[in-house]
Amino acid sequence: MLLETHRRPKQLISLTPLIDVVFILLLFFMLSSTFNRTKEISVSASSGGQANQESTTVKVLITEPGVVRIKGYEYPINSAALNNELQAYAKSGDKIYLASLNHIRVQEVIKMLDMAKTYGISNLSLSESVSP
Amino acid sequence: MIPAINIVFLLLIFFMIAGHIEARNEQLQIPQSSSEKDLETQDVDIQILANGSYVLNGQETDVSLTEALQLLTLSSESIITLHVHRDLPASSLDPVLKSTRQLGIKRLQIATVQQP
Repeated sequence: MLLETHRRPKQLISLTPLIDVVFILLLFFMLSSTFNRTKEISVSASSGGQANQESTTVKVLITEPGVVRIKGYEYPINSAALNNELQAYAKSGDKIYLASLNHIRVQEVIKMLDMAKTYGISNLSLSESVSP
Repeated sequence: MIPAINIVFLLLIFFMIAGHIEARNEQLQIPQSSSEKDLETQDVDIQILANGSYVLNGQETDVSLTEALQLLTLSSESIITLHVHRDLPASSLDPVLKSTRQLGIKRLQIATVQQP
């Protein structure tokens, strides 16, 4: 004996699975947006050889965390004097060789690379580390 | 249909998170920079882990880095991506710089994370 007389019309998408899918989509886009946070810094790896005749080369040596030596003078990072130097090199297009003493952390080297890039120095090369 | 899509998405998220956790292990915390350029995966990937070991394209290298790179057929236009642990000394970059120079590779990408 069938008592049910009134039949609901068949819903195409019921509410619960729909909310489920919407939440998962939200989660997916939230996570995927934080994934591609990896950035990059490009450096030229070859040293010497095809250096431009007109531009000169400058050696920048990281001697201590936050201190660089250029042409015998030591400059603290973020000092006005270093900013002026870097701006001058960016303008003249000099080739910069960045080296560091071998105990300096990689993070310090990257910090200096980053700084040089912000001044628009494109002709930048990373040299092997130097023992003190 | 909907539960099927549900499960597929859940699996996708699971593998993304699993891969992310594996990539961000303690042995490899890449340095910070203010660079805005997104890292695009290139033909060669070198990782230098905190214990000083070199991982080339996902495989730890037993032989020297130069020999291992020579086995891959690289041109001077190849770009090497470098994931290096941020607290390592700068001398750990030397083998990479030396072998890229020997192989005549011009460009090196150093992977960084954005400063928080």
